[in-house]
Amino acid sequence: MSPGGIPFLGKGAVIGLPRALLHYELYPFWRALFETLDLEVAVSAPTSRDLIESGAKRAVDEACLPVKAYYGHVMALRDKVDAVFMPRVVSLHRGTYTCPKLLGLPDMIRHNVGRLPPAIVADFDETKRGRGLGETGVALGRRLGKSGRQAREAVAAGFEALNAFRRALWAGVSFEEAAALAARGEGVPTADWRDVTTPNGHPRVALVGHAYNIFDPGVNLDLVRKLRGLGCRVVTSEMLSDEEVRVESEAMPKEIFWSSGRRIMAAVKRFRRDGLVDGMIHIISFACGPDSMVGEIAERETRRESALPYMALTIDEHTAEAGLVTRLEAFADMLWRRRRKTGGTYR
Amino acid sequence: MKVTFAHMGNLWITVKTILEDLGLEVVVPPRPSRHSLDIGVRHSPEFACFPLKMNIGDYVGAIEKGADTIVMVGGIGPCRLGHYAQVQMEILKDLGYQAEMVILEPPRGHFSALLDKIRYLTGNKPLSRVVRALRFGWEKLYSLDCLDRALVKTRPLEPVPGTAGSAHRRAVAAVAEAGGIEATRRATEAGVAAILAAGETAGGGSGQPAAGLPAGTRTPLRVGIVGEVFMVAEPFANLDLERRLGEMGVEVTRALYVSDWVRANLFLDTLRLKRRSRQTIVKQAASPYLGHFVGGEGLESVGESVIYSRQGYDGVIHVAPFTCMPEIVATSLLPEVGRDLGLPNMSLFLDEHTGDAGLATRLEAFVDLLARRRARLKTGAEVAAPRPLRKPSTGHTCWKSLAGGRRGSEGKPCVPWDRRGLGDDQGYRGR
Repeated sequence: MSPGGIPFLGKGAVIGLPRALLHYELYPFWRALFETLDLEVAVSAPTSRDLIESGAKRAVDEACLPVKAYYGHVMALRDKVDAVFMPRVVSLHRGTYTCPKLLGLPDMIRHNVGRLPPAIVADFDETKRGRGLGETGVALGRRLGKSGRQAREAVAAGFEALNAFRRALWAGVSFEEAAALAARGEGVPTADWRDVTTPNGHPRVALVGHAYNIFDPGVNLDLVRKLRGLGCRVVTSEMLSDEEVRVESEAMPKEIFWSSGRRIMAAVKRFRRDGLVDGMIHIISFACGPDSMVGEIAERETRRESALPYMALTIDEHTAEAGLVTRLEAFADMLWRRRRKTGGTYR
Repeated sequence: MKVTFAHMGNLWITVKTILEDLGLEVVVPPRPSRHSLDIGVRHSPEFACFPLKMNIGDYVGAIEKGADTIVMVGGIGPCRLGHYAQVQMEILKDLGYQAEMVILEPPRGHFSALLDKIRYLTGNKPLSRVVRALRFGWEKLYSLDCLDRALVKTRPLEPVPGTAGSAHRRAVAAVAEAGGIEATRRATEAGVAAILAAGETAGGGSGQPAAGLPAGTRTPLRVGIVGEVFMVAEPFANLDLERRLGEMGVEVTRALYVSDWVRANLFLDTLRLKRRSRQTIVKQAASPYLGHFVGGEGLESVGESVIYSRQGYDGVIHVAPFTCMPEIVATSLLPEVGRDLGLPNMSLFLDEHTGDAGLATRLEAFVDLLARRRARLKTGAEVAAPRPLRKPSTGHTCWKSLAGGRRGSEGKPCVPWDRRGLGDDQGYRGR
């Protein structure tokens, strides 16, 4: 056993990454990090109905759908990998936190899921000096028995992939494509969604919410594809650059202290103000704490200050496909009617 | 300027004392009721936690009584309380109320923003005047918590149900009226004596048995209450949990009194004046189960439960508002704490839909279970020996969090935690 109590993982050992929650924000970083450390990475299969159900059985009722899905993904990785990686991501940005449930997640998993493979846990906390993504990443590499130089190289590769991934997302590329671009080390697409006008005056709909709700079709019941099928062009809150988020956020009397809440709030403000979109959908997990606050401020502000159509869509493991489709169709119909009435300007 | 604030148990007495001592006109909102709750629920976001909804009801009640300024606390997360004020302002704005909200944010490195707010509220009174008012407020806060402690200790022993409760009500009123620190102390001492006297007859062997205790029992069951601070402190929100348990013959201990919270969050521990603070003790106790703070009182709920089991409590009740994030983490871990340490526990997630009868049924079942368990332990049919203590890194190899800071030595007993007043059994005594 190597120092720090981490199991000895030889060259080519497989580390499992649960495809849930912050996977949708940090996957390229983890992947580049572990691969540079001569380890292999296996991602659990896409979220399915069965997987959510198996997770929901182990989780407490009060937990939200994405957390239940995370349980399911960890359970799906059992017996398939040499170790499972469960980062405790406390903060990704100074002055913000992720979510209390994510802070306790590794402990919740440990005490509620049996037959776990060895787990690699590390606390990533940008609010504390020397505990950030990079510093803890180096410490993790060292604890996995690698040299300091190799660990630093791994973190550098991780950041390079992460930056490429984020720039691709900001240009309007989907999660899968952005992750693939980052993995191949290719350049960022030059076309920017902000410059592209929609053909035929198709309505442009902003989908705002947590990355794991926007990007996981198993959790959001394939919402993005359904919207596209209704003739809507979809832009998401993940398509704003960090700089845009910072500018919008600092203009607020009090910045939101949840990192994704901060992004959601900034996206709502920016989309609304600049007329970048013709309608807005906020996708919320049932009983989501941060979104109950952020969503309320966003909705009230939007109603008061603009005529932009706004819909809050709540999802959980009981959400029926037909009900969701009906609501989306009604929303899209309303947008198309608006287009006809206003001659394509939606204003 | 007519100032108001939200209710939380008897906290209004403290806040009113401080604000009036500073020469402000105070409007105390009507006590929380079905009516104020209905108003709050109607205008608040569905998944907001329960305290936010109750606050809205309080504000509306106070504004209708003439208040125009609301004092509210802020926060830096990750618990939702830190954004209450922003959401509540939006709601009040949409309702057409013009009230202004003064948000007291915890100082982050510099005190100037907080001082500006205080200066604004007090009309530039000298700081020494503010400190004097806070000192007076603290005395009342501490006194009220002493009265509460005396009440929960006495209730299971009272021969006539309700006598301790009415003594407590009179004592609270006396403390609320007291016009100075000395008067507050005198009122508290008299109040504690009066409350304890309500239980004397049974304990003193007058022959009349305590009404709540089962026949043949002399010592009440001891139950610790852990959870989110508002739900624990506000009897309207927790459907009078402490009274219900007391009348069933259970001695209740609250893990977190508001004075503890203030002590932990506002002075000593924030300024790092105390090395072995309560927070450190609780964090160490929780470390085999939860290795990181999760905001709110999540870590405390787990740690306090472990401490209760060391102190030989019969059970723990965990109270939280529905959708509370930190307490969801705690409730995921408490069953394991219970299995390891042989500590029965029950989590209650409460909100505006919680029914009276449903809660009563669950409490009765829980208390029955505790009573039967104690009887079995007495006859030796069940052995109380808990499983060996867990270390932070067993079984799985890398549970020790990387860069996670110092770890507690959870095998060691807790050092005594000093408290004035009601004897050391209310504090943390190692076994």
